[in-house]
Amino acid sequence: MADLNEGRHDTPRSPARFIAFGVAAAVLFTTLGGRLFQLQVVNGDQYAAEAEAMRTVEVALRSPRGLVFDRQGRPVVVNVPSWTVKIRPADLPAEETTQVLRRVAELAEVDWRALRARLRAFQGSPFELVPIERGISRQAALLIGEEAERLPGVVVEVEPVRQYLDELGRVDGRLLSHVLGYVGPINLQEFTDLGTDGYLRDDLIGRAGIEATFERELRGTYGTELKERDARGRPLKTIRTVQEAKPGRNLMLTVDARMQRIATQSLQWGMRAVGLQQGVTIVMNPQTGEILAMVSLPAYDNNKFATGISVDDYAVYLNDPAKPLRNHGIADIYPPGSTFKLVTGLAALEEGVTTAGRPWPTYGCYQIPDAPRGQCLFDWNRAGFGPLNMTQAYAVSSDTFFYQMAVALGVDRLGQWANHLGFGETSGIRLPGEAAGIVASREWARAQGREDVFTGELAQAGIGQNVVAVTPLQLLNAYAALANGGRLMEPMIVRGETDDSGRLTKAYRPRLIRRIDASQTNLQTMRIGAREVITTGHAYNIRDLRLPGALSGKTGTAEFGERRRGVLPFHSWFVAYLPSQAGATDADLAVVTFSYSAVVPGNVSLEVVKYFLQEWYGLERDLRLDPRDFSLVAAN
Amino acid sequence: MGAVAATSTLVDNVRGRRWRAFDLQLFLYVVLLIGFGVVMGYSAGFAEAGAGGGLSQSVKTLIWTSIGLIIFFVAASVDYHWLQTLTVPIYATVLALLTLTMLIGTSLFGAQMSITMAGLDFQFSEVSKVLMVVVLASFLASRRERIGKLSTLVGAGLLMAIPTFLVFKQPDLGTALVFVAILVGMLFMSGASIGWMALLAGATVAAAPLAVQSLQDYQRARLFCFLDPYADPQGACYQLVQALNAVGSGGLFGQGLTAGRQNQLGFLPVQSTDFIFTVVAEELGFAGSIVLLVIFGLLIWRILAIGWGARDMLGMMVAMGLASMLLFQIMVNVGMVIGIMPVTGIPLPFVTYGGSSMISLLFAMGILQSVRMHARKPTF
Repeated sequence: MADLNEGRHDTPRSPARFIAFGVAAAVLFTTLGGRLFQLQVVNGDQYAAEAEAMRTVEVALRSPRGLVFDRQGRPVVVNVPSWTVKIRPADLPAEETTQVLRRVAELAEVDWRALRARLRAFQGSPFELVPIERGISRQAALLIGEEAERLPGVVVEVEPVRQYLDELGRVDGRLLSHVLGYVGPINLQEFTDLGTDGYLRDDLIGRAGIEATFERELRGTYGTELKERDARGRPLKTIRTVQEAKPGRNLMLTVDARMQRIATQSLQWGMRAVGLQQGVTIVMNPQTGEILAMVSLPAYDNNKFATGISVDDYAVYLNDPAKPLRNHGIADIYPPGSTFKLVTGLAALEEGVTTAGRPWPTYGCYQIPDAPRGQCLFDWNRAGFGPLNMTQAYAVSSDTFFYQMAVALGVDRLGQWANHLGFGETSGIRLPGEAAGIVASREWARAQGREDVFTGELAQAGIGQNVVAVTPLQLLNAYAALANGGRLMEPMIVRGETDDSGRLTKAYRPRLIRRIDASQTNLQTMRIGAREVITTGHAYNIRDLRLPGALSGKTGTAEFGERRRGVLPFHSWFVAYLPSQAGATDADLAVVTFSYSAVVPGNVSLEVVKYFLQEWYGLERDLRLDPRDFSLVAAN
Repeated sequence: MGAVAATSTLVDNVRGRRWRAFDLQLFLYVVLLIGFGVVMGYSAGFAEAGAGGGLSQSVKTLIWTSIGLIIFFVAASVDYHWLQTLTVPIYATVLALLTLTMLIGTSLFGAQMSITMAGLDFQFSEVSKVLMVVVLASFLASRRERIGKLSTLVGAGLLMAIPTFLVFKQPDLGTALVFVAILVGMLFMSGASIGWMALLAGATVAAAPLAVQSLQDYQRARLFCFLDPYADPQGACYQLVQALNAVGSGGLFGQGLTAGRQNQLGFLPVQSTDFIFTVVAEELGFAGSIVLLVIFGLLIWRILAIGWGARDMLGMMVAMGLASMLLFQIMVNVGMVIGIMPVTGIPLPFVTYGGSSMISLLFAMGILQSVRMHARKPTF
């Protein structure tokens, strides 16, 4: 401190260099400021737009899937919240995957390998959420939520899932499974094909029933919203809705769920009574083609599909020889037996082969015209009936009468009339997997390597055997056309669209496939025959039911396959129609029941329809036969 | 004034007058900058962990500032000439610290840049910068008579070369460049021969490709992004593109504190440290950025004034070394996020969050105050 030299300026400071330094600093600061001005003020908007583009992402707004009501407005398909476990692969370190999946599986009480399979199958961006298990319990969802810290990448989300209800609103997927179908995860192929329609990789799509055929209506239109994402790609806050989601449309079935229940119970009763594995009952309004009930047994539980069916459950369905996943009413074809005599009879009248009143001889066994002597086809009544006209022959279901009609018609005219009545072509009902069936024709013969069908085959085709195979729906629809005066209607399964409480807001119109090119007189002749089946003929044991209107119908059986218990197994059919109002003449209810492969004598389908009519119209049940003894019923 | 001075004791008089020379302006600018850092640190911490994260960041900065202020006042009250006597031990300490860091340092972004002690990270390269200013100032002051000679240049270059090499090998390219900037700035201000300097600069530029070759791939890729950031916007230049977008989105007045979308959504890399200026630009806009740059400009101006008014060569060199250091850091750090400088890890003085940086800088400001307070011979 005492240094006397202190304070002496001995600095060799150079003013020039100080100025140079200062100027350099000023220039540098000015450069920074100028550049900032350019970035922020001049081009600010441009950078802001680019920043927004880079940190926002368009996210789909899912539309709620449409509800489904039965024709009385009972809800049969609803959306319920369900807990879904999802994984964001980007947040799940590879080395922890196994451990995390095992823990999730443990908490959700599922097989962890299934979770792994779903995670591996996903091909989207690692920032997308992969649903790995749907429909876990609330309890499991809470447990997984509690362990979130130890389960990186795992998210539990509440998602709507489909719930299928019965006529009383109980959760029961089996009542309407073949009508409603189910939804399932979209696969990669479908995603590729449909991606432009707004489907997402983790989306669901209708897989069966009207869920599949009315996919477009039920799904609605997904909207989009612009979401801000963070640097890791996670969508966060919504900035704005780009397009609102349009909810799916609600549908009303033509089906009455209560009638569906009664038809199901009737068929179950009959099948149980005689030990059958498969059966079909379809009920229709013949005036409009509306399907009022459509039962195919065995059914499956579509609620199992709603949250993703387990591999084991699915295997059980697939391996069941009775094929519960198939709607036997439309997807499988069977020989129609004597019910087909409607086609042969109407064709014979229209083509002038016979007239309504002309009697034809019948035989115990019908000699095939161009075959060696002694090669004959039996009547079911080996004694023959003597001479019969059309209505009589139809009422007693004489085989030899209709052999003669078929041979006289020839294969072309018989086939054309079969096609005209809707056989050999799909009906156009809006359900997936409909079969077309087989009708005897030269084309069919040529496909077998022959010039023509054998005359014996032609004769048998005339009684619905051998080279004729139909779906139960086709048969019902042909009889509906008979009942309604010759209008072949396209069977309807959806009646229209409704509001959220199940009130019809838009009715779909019934569609006429074609007017049957037959005279009212000839149709009337066949209707008289069908009425006589009940009153004097074959199905006499249903005659005394106190039904509201006059019942008409036709039985049918078709033998097939190998002998069991000494009897050739056979399919049995009963198709019938009646007016539901006393005094009405127009039939408004037509029903067909098909029983697959029975080995007991009698026609179980007739009994099933009888049971159904008794239940539906609330009749006394004393006329129901003991199901262990169908021998009272004639077997044709 | 005279009457009062005459009745005072010598020591009291000297001490009182010394502190009266305390550069309030310099102190004020530093406080403003630290304030800026606390506020922006809050926003950056907010981005990572909400209000709690922001507060914790600010509190930490304030704690470091408090420690730094103690050191500042100690440094200010000590005559800076003492440092000259300690030149050799200081230089030895610098080399020891940097060697130690290279050997046992904690990896940070792939570089051994800090040493962890008692749970705290010490980045010795920060204090080394300040200490090297002192070492170089001592050396140049001692060679005042031979300042124009080549040997002075070479000697200064060699003194600086060893620590530069050590940090370069960490690898911490940023600090290495700061060392070079300090060397160039101080040589220029010392009055060294412009001719010789130009020659050496030419040689350095010729050797630059060699240095670039020895860089790690990621360093090289980032280094050249600024020439064309959109060449690889998702890869090496991702940070720069995001930073440019953030700065641009700030507009005239910014998006508001803690409301910068790029910052808050984590699009900015190391936003509390090297990219803090992006947060300023995005959230406070052009206006806020300019205010910050003006404060920096005033700070540099004050240091120049202190250097000009320094009592001797040592004081002037210390001031101008620190001015060079700060100017270079500001230019490179801000230039980096606005795309006119290569991306290197250089902190923004006082604003970037970091204890080592804060303490070192306040220590430097203390020395500057000392230079300022000893600028004039005491009047009796």
